[in-house]
Amino acid sequence: MATIEEVLELIKSGYTNPKEIARVMGISVEEVSGIIKILESLGYIEKVKLGSSVCNRCPMKKICSGSCIHFKGQIYQISEKNSSNSSKTT
Amino acid sequence: MKKVIALAGNPNVGKTTLFNALTGLRQHVGNWPGVTVEKKEGIMKYKGREFLVVDLPGTYSLTAHSVDELIARNFILNGNADVIVDVVDSSCLMRNLFLTMEILEMGVKNIVIALNKIDLAEKKGITFNFKKMEKVLGIPVVPTNAKDGTGIEDLKRKIVAVADGRITVNPVVPVYDDIIEREISHISEILKETALAERYNLRWLAIKLLTRDEEVIKLVLSHLGHEKMDEILHHIGELEEHYKKSLDIIIANQKYEFIDNLIHQFVTHFAEQKETLTDQLDRILTHPVYGMLSLLAIFYFLFKFVFTVGTPLQESLDSFFGVLGDNIGRYIVNDTLRGLIVDGIIGGVGSVLSFFPLVFLLFVAMSLLEDSGYMARAAVVMERIMRKFNLPGKSFIPMVLAFGCNVPAVMATRALDDERDRILTMIINPLVPCSARMVVITFLAGVFFERHKALVAISIYAISLGLALISALILSRFVIKGEESPFIIELPDYLIPSWKSVVIHSWERSKEFLKKAGTVILAGAVAIWYLSNYPQPVGTGLSYAEIIGRALEPVTKLMGLDWKAAVSLIFGIIAKENVIATYGVIYGIGGNEEALGVLMRQAMSPLQAFVLSLVTTLYLPCIATIAAIRAEGGTKWALVASLYNLILATVIGILVYHLGLFIMG
Repeated sequence: MATIEEVLELIKSGYTNPKEIARVMGISVEEVSGIIKILESLGYIEKVKLGSSVCNRCPMKKICSGSCIHFKGQIYQISEKNSSNSSKTT
Repeated sequence: MKKVIALAGNPNVGKTTLFNALTGLRQHVGNWPGVTVEKKEGIMKYKGREFLVVDLPGTYSLTAHSVDELIARNFILNGNADVIVDVVDSSCLMRNLFLTMEILEMGVKNIVIALNKIDLAEKKGITFNFKKMEKVLGIPVVPTNAKDGTGIEDLKRKIVAVADGRITVNPVVPVYDDIIEREISHISEILKETALAERYNLRWLAIKLLTRDEEVIKLVLSHLGHEKMDEILHHIGELEEHYKKSLDIIIANQKYEFIDNLIHQFVTHFAEQKETLTDQLDRILTHPVYGMLSLLAIFYFLFKFVFTVGTPLQESLDSFFGVLGDNIGRYIVNDTLRGLIVDGIIGGVGSVLSFFPLVFLLFVAMSLLEDSGYMARAAVVMERIMRKFNLPGKSFIPMVLAFGCNVPAVMATRALDDERDRILTMIINPLVPCSARMVVITFLAGVFFERHKALVAISIYAISLGLALISALILSRFVIKGEESPFIIELPDYLIPSWKSVVIHSWERSKEFLKKAGTVILAGAVAIWYLSNYPQPVGTGLSYAEIIGRALEPVTKLMGLDWKAAVSLIFGIIAKENVIATYGVIYGIGGNEEALGVLMRQAMSPLQAFVLSLVTTLYLPCIATIAAIRAEGGTKWALVASLYNLILATVIGILVYHLGLFIMG
């Protein structure tokens, strides 16, 4: 299986850490990160908006104790495109 | 008319630095037509001539998935640029050349590569044969370091040479397997008959049709008509059947392999995989076993730090509010007004404000963990555990947010596509202790446990999280079944936090806590004061607070808690800090020189305080969280979540109290 597809399959199979994917595939973490960006631009994964974006919509914003967790790092989730893609395999 | 130079490239490759190096201060910033994407233009001067430099949005490819990609693609496609400068990060060649190939596939001939960050590549041990690179790619390549100006003059010279047609460019284009190449030729043949042939590169159009690019499908449809278009799409469908997946990923894969082969021809030495400090730390901090132990240890020391530094300050403030109330009370003649101000406001709000030092220190510790990059690691460890308890993958996001506040956490369940996953996450989410409950836990642990404050606080967290996980396991197995929804977390490098940013951040959060004390908690304190003093004062057995509390006492008694705890828990539904404020009012702390902690220690055993702490963490979510669940899941699920939490808290409270009595003999 080719590299981009392999990374996508590993994410789908439950690998959540690019370092683990890099180790399994024998490539560098930078390369995995690069492939993640390519997968995002192809629409196979999408960024999860965290923290401030949720807090900005929050009705409690005015009186809350400013307690939203500030999560450094980026989470990507599998997008809907994958379900339409997987239907081609069935 | 000035010739136009377009800067294309991935985000964070130094494109803006290069733009500044080429244009100096001769810049103008506006928006791209019709969208709010920033458009930067500037003037490059070279040997008395002027060129207009346009900075295109940074993209990783030229699909039609984002506005940025469409802007960059259409600019190149419409031939707006006389020269395209493709800025490539020399230390991350694979993903950068992916975009380069997408540009070259458009049939672009007027292109120069600025091989930027060449210093970083050298540091990583990557070496190039630049001549070979130019030959393999068929385009001019200029090594640059935009930061210190290395290669900028050479780049300008090459740009002008390409603009003047003095350099022959013969770019390489990716070659795919026979089946795809045959289809590209087939589609190109069909398109040759249309007016598109005069304006666009037919190979590019064919590739984009194969990837079902919506913009290109619309464009071709307007020239070919439905019948021929349907025929092409039917053919593409057959190919997808053959590969058992969409052609965009097949084409992306083959393009990636093509780039890999190219790179091996001109990169003479690749980066050695050295283990960085981040890697070494991550081996422990994200390890399935050591990671969990580290998480517990880090949070133990977090509480230890908060208690050690904050408790003396908290006790002083607690006594201060006692003395303040006593002194102010002497000058107020009217009994009702004195009661309201001294017992209600100073007693209630003062008792909550007294733990401001603990709150501030907690926020300092949390900010340190966030800014250092550790929180992302904690999330990885938590996610691994949650997965074992059948929590759908994406649920971990709301669960992590819940440590801050349950309201945005419940709102974040929108990210979960499966309705059952959303409901499950909403029901168990309030079991994760939010920062308001962290305040109550910290206060009670600090007051009642002399030597093991941090351990007690951690154990309350562990029990609540354990119950959230067990609830998830039971609910997902027997009640609400959902599907796995995978995701990936990119971890940031560890950083030494800046004290300035930590203090500012902690102060911003603490300021909001003070604001809350002056609004929700103040209103709660006044209400508690009224209920405690009417129709008869507390202690007579006839105040509303006592009547309500004693009505609930048969249940709370089973957990070892008296009517005061019952009343405090009711007010805790408005805001969890009101649990403490209630005690402040009932004990009349504002008019009593004894600190609240001392009075509470006289009235309650450490076991009872532990149970109160645990029940406060587990029982009904605050009213804002219930409203959020109602808004996101409907009245039925808001009721189910509230009842579930209430029953669970009661059962656990009774169990822990009796277990505690049994252990202590």
